[in-house]
Amino acid sequence: MTDIVAELREAIGAEKVLSSPVDLIAYSFDSTFEQHMPDAVVLPETNEDVVAVVRVASRLEVPIVPRGMSSGLAGGAIPLSGGVVVSLARMKRVLEIDEENMIVTVQAGMVTADLQAEVEKLGLFYPPDPSSNRQSTIGGDIACDAGGPRCLKYGVTGDYVMGLTVVLPDGRVLVTGGKTIKNVVGYDLTSLFVGSEGTLGIITQALLRLVAKPQSVRTALAEFPSLDDASRTVNAILSAGIVPATLELMDKTATACIEQAMHLGLPLDVEAMLIIETDGSDEERVVCEIEAAARICRENGAREVKVARDEAERITLWKARRSVSPSLARKAPNKLGEDITVPRSAIPEAIRRIKAISAKYGLPIVVFGHAGDGNLHPNILFDWRDPKQWEKVQQIVSEVFKVALDLGGTLSGEHGVGTFKLPYMEQALGPTSIDVQRRIKRALDPQNILNPGKVLPDI
Amino acid sequence: MPANESNVESMRPVEEETLHCVRCGLCLAACPGYRESLNETDSPRARIALVRALKEGLLEEPTDGFSNAFFRCLLCGACTFACPSGVAVDRILELTRGELASLDLLPPALADLDARIAQYRNVSTEENEGRLIWADNLPTPPSGLGKERAEIAYFVGCVSSFFPRSYKVPQALVQIFDRAGVDYALLGGAEWCCGYPMFINGELERARDLMQHNVEAVRAMGAKKVVMTCPSCFHFWKHAYPTALGVENLGVEVQHATEFLADLLEAGSLKLRELEETVTYHDPCDLGRKGGVTEAPRRILAQIPGLRLVEMAENRDSSHCCGGGGNLESFAPEMGRAVARNRIRQAADVGAGTLVSACQQCERTLANAARAEKLRMRVKDITEVVLEAME
Repeated sequence: MTDIVAELREAIGAEKVLSSPVDLIAYSFDSTFEQHMPDAVVLPETNEDVVAVVRVASRLEVPIVPRGMSSGLAGGAIPLSGGVVVSLARMKRVLEIDEENMIVTVQAGMVTADLQAEVEKLGLFYPPDPSSNRQSTIGGDIACDAGGPRCLKYGVTGDYVMGLTVVLPDGRVLVTGGKTIKNVVGYDLTSLFVGSEGTLGIITQALLRLVAKPQSVRTALAEFPSLDDASRTVNAILSAGIVPATLELMDKTATACIEQAMHLGLPLDVEAMLIIETDGSDEERVVCEIEAAARICRENGAREVKVARDEAERITLWKARRSVSPSLARKAPNKLGEDITVPRSAIPEAIRRIKAISAKYGLPIVVFGHAGDGNLHPNILFDWRDPKQWEKVQQIVSEVFKVALDLGGTLSGEHGVGTFKLPYMEQALGPTSIDVQRRIKRALDPQNILNPGKVLPDI
Repeated sequence: MPANESNVESMRPVEEETLHCVRCGLCLAACPGYRESLNETDSPRARIALVRALKEGLLEEPTDGFSNAFFRCLLCGACTFACPSGVAVDRILELTRGELASLDLLPPALADLDARIAQYRNVSTEENEGRLIWADNLPTPPSGLGKERAEIAYFVGCVSSFFPRSYKVPQALVQIFDRAGVDYALLGGAEWCCGYPMFINGELERARDLMQHNVEAVRAMGAKKVVMTCPSCFHFWKHAYPTALGVENLGVEVQHATEFLADLLEAGSLKLRELEETVTYHDPCDLGRKGGVTEAPRRILAQIPGLRLVEMAENRDSSHCCGGGGNLESFAPEMGRAVARNRIRQAADVGAGTLVSACQQCERTLANAARAEKLRMRVKDITEVVLEAME
């Protein structure tokens, strides 16, 4: 593999190429427990760097694995076949904020929360907010079509992508979309790359749609002695015609882990909590909606509903919610976080079945997630060093997916397929869909060098 | 937000500790080093992965590259504080550095630093007897000079004793003490390096003599309190000395100068004039997040009429390192300088005309950064500000 390292150095400069064992370890993992060493790592700073890297890799037929901050939860950024990891973290500039058209042009390595802060200074708003927004990049968000709490009202990352600059596996640069709201000229190639998980091209730049920043926000925390009541309340609120920005559910264990990490005084004796946020430009209406939601919570069994007193309290609450997933490590050395979605009417049933699976196998499954849009994160807690537990985990995953599919849902709402969901792809999509997707992959990447072994089984 | 105490108190073995890292990446967002280099090798998450790789056989043995990854760190503690999984990253760093030092893998610049301390009993190459040169230029000699017994021992610290740029810190403090009639003494050559640089280089054993000597020197003065202006000396004395020396308490109260001054000013024993100024306060990592002192300096500033305090977004426990932490200046100065520039820009962003800190190291690195960034920003130690308000 010295060939590839030497050629990469020649192509983009030695200071942007890493190859020591220590560096390779650093780029061998994502936010799961899987790991595999790459053969080299590159830190490109321009589109031209990325093109040069792809040309070298293509010529030598070496796999390329693009990544941002590697906070993915499905193994998508792990270099499982070795090859070159392309870290886009240094391509993190905002190239233009077009205030009149409300469109931002940004490089792929920009951290999501940094972009949000930047546009909010101008009264603009970039809604997609993966819980990992401080350790996720725009490129990664697009490649995984990331969601987050606010997707209930505002939609997912893909709904904001107006255009992309993509380096194709043969080294050509594809520019899709543009600043126009309407655009039906040819196939929608922008959408093709959204959620492609680095298997079709390397996204280096994006045009993103912004909206006006909501002037008012109210956040409420509702405590439910019964998990079942909490999950039923989700639909009661949405059926009442209220469209909260977020409607999040956390079960008892999730709450306990967060409390241990952040000491917020959260109740430890309730089975579930809902975090409800309403926002908009009309303060009166925002307040009216949160009060209506609070009333519905009480009518459906909430013991108490508290509204955040000020912005500081609201920020703390969201910081807590965003920390739920990693805080689970306080209970067990490993967690497998799933990401199923179901039609929202099926949430109570999905949660009941998941808890039954947990009881059957004797391993804790923590449930939290974006209940309002039907996206749940059942997290199985276990110790990977124990082969018996690992075997159970695999059986649990399979049963949880079955629950999602049986209830009319699917495997992943926002994490993506990576490698973790590969075995279930055919079951979820059927042979025709898999065949069409394989043909697209082969057409764009005939050498199968771009993030091989991800998303689609057996190219 | 309360400090993430469970992290700090963890006593799990290192191997077990690393297993609780779920690699979420939140520490990358908190780490000033990573945020500057944008290279995962410089991240806390990668360092944990390296320890694990060694235990699991993915890496055969620690190398210079491995060692570099562990010493290219400011030890600011932001990762430990940010970690929702409760991983005591600081302990992993500390114990791994210890192991590296014992394997002779301490980077040469840092090994030299420790050798210097062992030889001179301070971080410079000056004779230790010269610790009080800063006192020569004062209008009147400080009353604590040459005093053998006093209520309070002022432990000046190596940097303020030997680097002319930082003389102003002890010069300001002794003038405040003298005007307030505080009964204090200076240790002069009896003060040795506190041992912190050796400790963070993984050589706690070599530091033990220094620690023992310092405690005895302070006790010999009959002092009830030892006061420091250097946050690292303070943090190390307060949190590491008792354990390292195997005693319940040191028999002397350890205070940072800001704690002492806050009480002094609130008691009304000093009259302060108005200072028309918008300031921001930079929390030194060893004083705030790691030392637990965030409010005393703000209490001091609140006592000065006319002074307006604006907070940077990253303040108190979430403070952003000045770039001068962790011996990085001796080992990877370019990274330290870049971190400092990021911090000074944060101060400019909130419209401060003066950045106040309570650490000679923060003052120096941030003042240099202000110059490098061509910002019209004054950078002062809090003792200077108090003295100014007294004049």
